[in-house]
Amino acid sequence: MSTIATEDLTKSFNSLIAVDHLTFKVNEGEVFGLLGPNGAGKTTTIRLLACLISPSEGAAQVGRYNISQHPLKIRETVGILTENPSLYERLTAQENMDFFAEAYGLTNEQEKKDRIRELLGFFDLWERRNDKVATFSKGMKQKLAIARALVHNPPILFLDEPTAGLDPESAKEVRDLMKRLSRHEKHTILLCTHHLEDAERLCHRVMIINRGKNIISGTPDELRNRIGGQPKVHINLRKLDSKMVEVTKRQSHVKQVNADKAESTLTITLDDVNSGTPEVVKSIVDAGGLILSVNVLRPSLEEAYLKLIKEIQK
Amino acid sequence: MRIQKAMLVFSKDWREIRRNWQVILPIVVVPLMMSVILPMVLTIIPSIAATQEGSLRRPENLINSLPVRVQEHLAWMNEQQVMIAIMAIYFFAPFFLIIPLMASSVISSDSFAGEKERKTIEALLATPISDGELFLGKMLVSFIPSMIITMISFGVYTAVFDIMAYGIFNGMLLLPTIDWILLIFGLAPTVALASIGLTVMISAKVKGFREAQQISVILLIPVLALIFGQVTGAIILGPIVILALAGLFLVIDLVVFRVGVKLFRREEILSKLS
Repeated sequence: MSTIATEDLTKSFNSLIAVDHLTFKVNEGEVFGLLGPNGAGKTTTIRLLACLISPSEGAAQVGRYNISQHPLKIRETVGILTENPSLYERLTAQENMDFFAEAYGLTNEQEKKDRIRELLGFFDLWERRNDKVATFSKGMKQKLAIARALVHNPPILFLDEPTAGLDPESAKEVRDLMKRLSRHEKHTILLCTHHLEDAERLCHRVMIINRGKNIISGTPDELRNRIGGQPKVHINLRKLDSKMVEVTKRQSHVKQVNADKAESTLTITLDDVNSGTPEVVKSIVDAGGLILSVNVLRPSLEEAYLKLIKEIQK
Repeated sequence: MRIQKAMLVFSKDWREIRRNWQVILPIVVVPLMMSVILPMVLTIIPSIAATQEGSLRRPENLINSLPVRVQEHLAWMNEQQVMIAIMAIYFFAPFFLIIPLMASSVISSDSFAGEKERKTIEALLATPISDGELFLGKMLVSFIPSMIITMISFGVYTAVFDIMAYGIFNGMLLLPTIDWILLIFGLAPTVALASIGLTVMISAKVKGFREAQQISVILLIPVLALIFGQVTGAIILGPIVILALAGLFLVIDLVVFRVGVKLFRREEILSKLS
């Protein structure tokens, strides 16, 4: 069953359509990535689903609730990391966490204390808990904002650029945490990001939006193949001759062969990399080729994304 | 409406405010200085004038314009005592309606506008705190400190005046009167609540703190009119008038609160984020 489902979700601000008939579903325990250039409508989509703003058209369900009918229930159910850390700088980390824990209904003092300690400990902020947030670095503020989003252990998380401002080590910790939350604890995560590497590593499915419209959606692999083209096999030989090129071309899975005699490399496009690669390798070896390396070249999600955005802009 | 959620917003905001001396100092210092300096000036000047023969005359025209109850109160007093009593007890009473307004205007203007400026509003609006609870919490954080300041100022004013006037009135303590008590505990809170409610509404609608504060200055006009009315003798705030006004403002408070909650739009607030 879908944890998040939208149907023609639309939001206009006067003549500007920020979100344009978006329809998508996110399943329980899934990490769903919303990708797109600045102003694509990612933050507006999150604000709609978190019931911070109301839709102009269409409907959405978050958890068991409809966004137009039960905004308060939805706000109880979700944890949100906003675009800005949105922290009270004159308050300490502990005071910020205390406020939001109680605002989200954590009234049991011991439970609240334990949860805050666990989160601040996880993000290496426990020792600084009594310091004012104003004295924190950008990365520390970001970590505290993520801890705040998790304070009531919400089953659904909306995360807007969670690794922004984090050092590589902290960014990895956050990615690992998201993986753990989705895989082991079945949290559903809607992730807005410009870091396509994050999306590639974390998301089960992604949707690229532009001007509020769904341009393409699918698993990162599907998107890479559909936008960036199929993966290619790159073979590096001790010495390349025309006989090897000919036998390669004759293989059933091979669609195209680019030979670089100077570099002694073959770049082969196959209709199925998994089953075609061993056959190609065998034919080259049978033709007397000495293979130094075989690599499958897949376009990254970033390359695929950039290609798509360029095409859209054209 | 969950009162504990409104109190949660109150305690969070109060924690922030009390660490901001730029906000706290004018709220505390100005009313307290007024409460000390004003009764001193009001008792010292007529006393100095009384030492110069013929310079202090009984203001008969002014006394005649006052209600009979007040005239009776002033009948047994000499010129110096009349001047002090009129100024310190009658004319300056409505000034204590301005203190809660002054003290609350900084905090209430900052309520939502300040959160927008500091970009903390989105996380607050994303919490499961209802519109009414948020609005009430923001009102309380302006109301409670401003009323505490008003009451302390009233205590200080009364004490300083009674000490200064003790010898002049032959050991008689003139303050507090029943009018003052009704004014401080009945009218001042209800007037303050209406003003705070309107300022919080303005704060939610505008982009920044300065804009909210500039607009909220308009709210001082009715209170200034009341003071002017009292000084000119057009309105004398006796017990019945004070109670009637307190009742009227209580109704206004309820209307302002309901309208404020009804007009509270999270979307509009977010759209004003700088």
